[in-house]
Amino acid sequence: MKRRIWNVVRMEWAGIAATPSSLLFLVVIPLVLVGQALLLSWIVPRFVNPAILGPSATDANALRLLILRQFPFFVLLIPAMVANVFATLGIVEEKVSRTLEPLLATPVRTWELLAGKILSGALPGLLVAWASAALFVGVGYALGWGSLLRSVLTATFFLDVLLLMPAVSLLSFILGVIGSSRARDAKEAQNLAVLVVFPIFALIAIQVTGLVEFTPVRTLLLALAFFAVDAILLRGAVRLFARESIVTRWS
Amino acid sequence: MGKTMMGHAVISTEGLSKRFGNRVAVDSLTVAVGAGEIVGLLGPNGAGKTTTLRMLAGIIAPSAGHAVVDGRDPASEPENVHESVGFLTESPGFYERLSAERNLAYFAAFYEGIDAKAAAARELARLGLADRARDKVGTFSKGMKQRLALARVLLHEPRILFLDEPTAGLDPEAARNLRELIVSLKKDGCTILLSTHNLSEAEELSDRIAVFRTRLVAIDTPRALRESQFERRLRVRLDGGTETCLAALRGEPYVRDAHEEEDGVLTMLLSDPDRDRPRLVARIVQAGGQVLEVREDERPLEDVYLSLVREEEA
Ligand SMILES: Nc1ncnc2c1ncn2[C@@H]1O[C@H](COP(=O)(O)OP(=O)(O)OP(=O)(O)O)[C@@H](O)[C@H]1O
Ligand SMILES: [Mg+2]
Repeated sequence: MKRRIWNVVRMEWAGIAATPSSLLFLVVIPLVLVGQALLLSWIVPRFVNPAILGPSATDANALRLLILRQFPFFVLLIPAMVANVFATLGIVEEKVSRTLEPLLATPVRTWELLAGKILSGALPGLLVAWASAALFVGVGYALGWGSLLRSVLTATFFLDVLLLMPAVSLLSFILGVIGSSRARDAKEAQNLAVLVVFPIFALIAIQVTGLVEFTPVRTLLLALAFFAVDAILLRGAVRLFARESIVTRWS
Repeated sequence: MGKTMMGHAVISTEGLSKRFGNRVAVDSLTVAVGAGEIVGLLGPNGAGKTTTLRMLAGIIAPSAGHAVVDGRDPASEPENVHESVGFLTESPGFYERLSAERNLAYFAAFYEGIDAKAAAARELARLGLADRARDKVGTFSKGMKQRLALARVLLHEPRILFLDEPTAGLDPEAARNLRELIVSLKKDGCTILLSTHNLSEAEELSDRIAVFRTRLVAIDTPRALRESQFERRLRVRLDGGTETCLAALRGEPYVRDAHEEEDGVLTMLLSDPDRDRPRLVARIVQAGGQVLEVREDERPLEDVYLSLVREEEA
């Protein structure tokens, strides 16, 4: 069982390594997001009219802190996007190359195949997201925002990065799989799977407006809720995937 | 359960049916295939051959009825069936950006207790692709991909093979090599179900031929199928004296019909061609005919097939 799952993971990676340009987004997306978060925190307090902001540096820092706090939600986008791209690439490629039927003729179980694909997409997604978080913190300290960051790096931050992010990247992957098993081509699949970005934007919006405060308990509950949705959708995805329509219609 | 030619049934179906929406693709198929037997599956486009093989291989579930392959139901335990079955799918798909070797090793690694790399190398060599092992499959010709697909099917040395149009797209030499491979697999004891549109290939390879058109039209040895549709005729080529011979033969009780088909060639219908042939020849010689050639006027399998399919249509 483990052997078969690993076999899928290694093959996915081999396929992606065979076209190194597809790896570019693994580097570009996180750099853009980290850079954006840091740039905004740096620039915005400088250019906002002091009349509005008030003269004191504390107000500028308060604004900066508000922006820095969005970062954990920004990084949620990373695994979501990476998992999503991997999922659609991985499934759509089976479709385009007509490898699914020969694959289903081997003793591999549907769930093993999906587990392999999940790991192959979610692992790099998480790694990149964690690396981005580390980069963010590192650069933040280098910019001398140590004291500000200390109030960003709360229990919530770690729950967010360690639990919520995996849950979201799983969700993104599953939606990618469902999207691509329903869709006729890669574009359609990605259009469907991109839906996962909306809940993330909603989270960011809620955070920015301060409607709900993200306490550790709430973040934990949110992550658990995501995992629950994942579990339900995953069962659906396995069933959808096992459906013969994929073999017979995917041609 | 239908009778088989050899041994116990390795593949059997009972009322196996598949419908897609309102369209019936396979209607209540009941057959049994014995161990070591090759059964050729013939039928027009859309007859349900691929659908049948997919059901037997546990890729799609039947709408009704069931199948037993190697003692197991492919619908309920497909993975176990896959351990002993090799299924050559209609379209041989590969990961085109990766090498032939890598592709095969990937598929091999899903089977229990196989050294994936060794199996890949062995089958590449067997299919004559060893020198292209490291090339990307995307650079392969259609026929090479077809051979690679067959290599993939053999990785786990299955005892049962479902081959969906195995020689489609192969050049004559490659097709012949592949037929020889199929024969050698049979010698090793494989049971093979083979779908093809190549009638002479079906006849050459198959112990029995199943003519299929949504329903099973007929299943039997090529010879028996032929006899079911056409009477056996004897062709005798003579060097002169056809008139007297014809007159003499028409008086014989075992000659049911005799006429001169073309110049110097007599065609005859005998009561029992095997029993009556020697005395027929003796009678011709006695009547002064110079016999150049005596042979059975065998109708091509194509005629037999078309006759069966049209009969079904009517
Ligand atoms: N997924 C599907 N949805 C709807 N109809 C299908 C599907 N798959 C097959 N069919 C129908 O089932 C019938 C049998 O198809 P099948 O592919 O089994 O034929 P075949 O005998 O293999 O034909 P060919 O010789 O062209 O390969 C056809 O009418 C086909 O249109
Ligand atoms: Mg077919």
